[in-house]
Amino acid sequence: MSEIKLAEDTAAESTLHNGGVISRFMDGFRAIPRVVLWFIVVVWATPTVGLLISGLRTRDDQRSSGWWTGLNPTEWTFENYDTVFGASASGSLGDSLLNSFAITIPATIIPIAVAAFAAYGFAWIDFRGRKGLFIATVSLLAIPLQVALIPLLQLFVGGAHLTLPIIDKTITILPDLDLVNTTTAVWIAHCGFALPFAIFLLHNYISGLPKDLFEAARIDGADHFTIFWRLVLPLSVPVLAAFAIFQFLWTWNDFLIANTFAGTNPDARPTTILIANLAGDFGRNEHLLPAAGFVQAFFPLVVFFALQRFFVRGLLAGSVKG
Amino acid sequence: MGIIAVSLAYGFIFVPKIRSTIILAVAAVAITGGLWIGANLLFDQATKRWAAFNAARFGLTAFAITGIISGNRLTNDGGNGEFFSDLVNWIWLPLVIGGIIAAVGFFLSGLTERTPRIALGTLGFGTAGAIIGALLQESVRPETDIVVTLIWTAAFAALGAGISVLRQHPPLGGAMNGGAIGWLIGSFGAVDLGTGSVGWAVVASVLPAAVIGARIGMTAPATAADRNEVDRRARPIIFIGPAVLFLTTMLVIPAIRTLYLSFFDRDSEDLVWFENYIETFTDTTSLDLSGFWDAFFNWPMRIGLILVVIFISVGKKMKDRTGKWVELGSPSLGPLVLGGMFLAFAFFTTSRGTIVNNLWWVLVVTLVSTSLGLAVAVLADGAKFEKAAKSLIFMPMAISLVGASVIWRFMYVARDSSKEQTGVLNALWVGLGRLSTGRGVAATLLIFILGLTALAMVLTAITKKQWARALAIVVLAPFALWGAAWAWAQLGGNAQRIIVGFFVSLCFAALLTAVVKAVQRKEYGAAAVPTIASLLLGWFLVRYWGIIGGGVGGFETNPAGNVVGSPINFIQESPYNNIFLMVVLIWIQTGFAMVILSAAIQAVPDDVLEAARVDGATTSQVFWRVTLPQIAPTIGVVVTTIIVLVMKVFDVVKVMTNSNFGTQVLANDMFNQAFNAANTGRGAALAMLIFISVMPVMVLNIRRMQRED
Repeated sequence: MSEIKLAEDTAAESTLHNGGVISRFMDGFRAIPRVVLWFIVVVWATPTVGLLISGLRTRDDQRSSGWWTGLNPTEWTFENYDTVFGASASGSLGDSLLNSFAITIPATIIPIAVAAFAAYGFAWIDFRGRKGLFIATVSLLAIPLQVALIPLLQLFVGGAHLTLPIIDKTITILPDLDLVNTTTAVWIAHCGFALPFAIFLLHNYISGLPKDLFEAARIDGADHFTIFWRLVLPLSVPVLAAFAIFQFLWTWNDFLIANTFAGTNPDARPTTILIANLAGDFGRNEHLLPAAGFVQAFFPLVVFFALQRFFVRGLLAGSVKG
Repeated sequence: MGIIAVSLAYGFIFVPKIRSTIILAVAAVAITGGLWIGANLLFDQATKRWAAFNAARFGLTAFAITGIISGNRLTNDGGNGEFFSDLVNWIWLPLVIGGIIAAVGFFLSGLTERTPRIALGTLGFGTAGAIIGALLQESVRPETDIVVTLIWTAAFAALGAGISVLRQHPPLGGAMNGGAIGWLIGSFGAVDLGTGSVGWAVVASVLPAAVIGARIGMTAPATAADRNEVDRRARPIIFIGPAVLFLTTMLVIPAIRTLYLSFFDRDSEDLVWFENYIETFTDTTSLDLSGFWDAFFNWPMRIGLILVVIFISVGKKMKDRTGKWVELGSPSLGPLVLGGMFLAFAFFTTSRGTIVNNLWWVLVVTLVSTSLGLAVAVLADGAKFEKAAKSLIFMPMAISLVGASVIWRFMYVARDSSKEQTGVLNALWVGLGRLSTGRGVAATLLIFILGLTALAMVLTAITKKQWARALAIVVLAPFALWGAAWAWAQLGGNAQRIIVGFFVSLCFAALLTAVVKAVQRKEYGAAAVPTIASLLLGWFLVRYWGIIGGGVGGFETNPAGNVVGSPINFIQESPYNNIFLMVVLIWIQTGFAMVILSAAIQAVPDDVLEAARVDGATTSQVFWRVTLPQIAPTIGVVVTTIIVLVMKVFDVVKVMTNSNFGTQVLANDMFNQAFNAANTGRGAALAMLIFISVMPVMVLNIRRMQRED
């Protein structure tokens, strides 16, 4: 890029080569885009920094002055963190952390298994109606969750019963397993909602694996099952990791599904609901919010920074053409 | 990895909740995996050990059907609540029946003559039917009504035969299947249950079972080709089945049911057709268009119309020159886009309501996120510390919407004007007010002139390549100015104000220079941004120095004549509080747009760019006319993804305002109606409205995928 001079520079040099004020001054302007960039970066990072620092200040400090005045480390204290981890009326952060883990671990592992089978099937098993079914499955990506919430809640509350129309009898397809208001209901819901994206992501990758690999295995007498188990799974670890991270972030940060299925049970609330409740507490416990918020954001941030490469890969899959 | 393993082990041993979760998760994966592997292994046997396979598939199917029958308490009394005895109570019959049918399947695969096959089938299935019939609970025994039964049998037999003929098979098989089903419906469904005798119950069960058994016996024995076919057909189902089943149960069927529920009233009892939808559109909290006619006279409309006029005149010139009214990179694009935005804004400021809010959200968040993301992607391309910058902008994506709302709530805090501001934004705003209400015009103009002189001296020095001199002036000028200001401050001036003002004025002068230079070289496109920026900055400076108006920022003069800070209540002042809520989502989504667009920009092939530059294109022309069209599909993907996300947004509004102060959006309204107000019909209708609004995106995705082959 530096070898070929921009036409602009050449023109500038030729027409204003009298060493005009303006052309020299414009050299300084090369720096402006960088300045704008770093300005944006500072604006983007400031809110989180503010949260971190506010969490370390006492309640009175937080109420009386802005966090930028409290940058003196000797004024910092961990008392907010102590309070928020201990038990209180709206539930302790420690318990809700456990709930969050209880929701995210199954909700990350199970969709991987189910989607991997399906992605391989769509990619490498030829059957009638494959393309149509695949498009139908992936088009479900755009369905907003709200559309499925009410019936799913009814399903968990009462089980599934089908009333056969003509003969007017009701049979139970799925009994009431008493799952409402437990973390189990939440992660089951998450598994279902995650599948379209999972299948899309994994299919994108698996269909890109080299065909000769499979042909060689086929010649050696392997059937689909063996090929999947021995070839595809080990090769797909990067994309499985990418999806796992994505799903972990999504379920850890989710509020709507958790609130719908477990919102009324204090024992099953994950961290997002705890924070939302703290925030809505009419400002009584506002000084605890920064500390709680930071703990809630800590785990995803760690995962994010450590495994950013995979996360980005997950986002990019299928979004960039060519 | 080690840390994770250790902490999991610790959690498993000591924390009961983690233990139960891990067990549950492992069990779920094991069961799913086990079932799947089992199905695969089972069908692997289809070609090699047909008899065993046949037995297995017959037996498992019978087990499942009997399991449902038994589970619905048709053949047992429901147990006493104790887990193991209930389990045994439920499972013994399915096991027995499963065993019988499995045996039938096993022996069937060994027989090749037609008569023995039919006999075996009839006998085996008939026995199973008899057992079930004999065990039917009293409450389920059907009344004896031969006529009704025969009518249903005949009807369905005819139906079955007809279907068979349509599929070009002999009608007898279809008639048998149909007849069996018809008999079952007729004898169990169309009559009263609970008043029949055991004998009739047995007869009613034996007959259809025996007929089905005979039908199965009638099928030809499986050839090797048939066996391969079974294996081949089954594979896709095994692989894709679980996912499709999951998706259907959790997404497709609920979606259909929501549609169904939206046509009913709040308790889902009376059919009200479209009333829920009509209510949503006529309720003024949802849609308030009362200010519609005012839109034609307000200031955004006027500016918008002016811009449209500019567009028409510039566009006409472009058309004469290049043949097109507007295209990427031509100067007519700016006025068109800006004019359109102002016109839309004109209508938006006069409408209120949930639906209008959602429209606001979609337009603003999508536009700003994508543009900012694109801008950052372009700016960061090739910069030093590019990765760090991108990481920091991308980082908010890892934070939950709830967390982000909390963070920004603290940024927006507004406190009474007598106290110090603790929120960043209000602190800046009130601080600006304090700064700009320093001394009067005369002094400030003097300082302004001094500043410009310094600027001119710097420029001259640079021209003459007297770098040292220029540097000296730049370094010393602030000190000199500050010294002058300090002196003035002794008389009551405001030093901070002057320093800040000096640097802002410097930027303003620089922008003006950029505009002049671009216009000199007839690069109107490149002049656009500096012009807008200098106009805004100029307006700001005019008010800052107090030339017009008393100052700029958060201040007001109280009755006593003193100037005090006046914070903005960002979250509560309708209708612009919506914009401040949108900032949260923009903060998060810009990183997303940036990552994807950055990858797309880097994917533009280098030779195309080189070719353009060799042809004499300037950097801005390269961007607008070469890069941008190439990444247009990606921009489309980003925009559609963000639109889908914005329509779903619930957390931000819930945490920041809980839908008060005119910030209600469809997702929150749906949640309130469906779960808090228990109005299922209305909630379902709102959910369908959200779905309808993202349907164009779904259709676009489908079309895109269909084209991909």
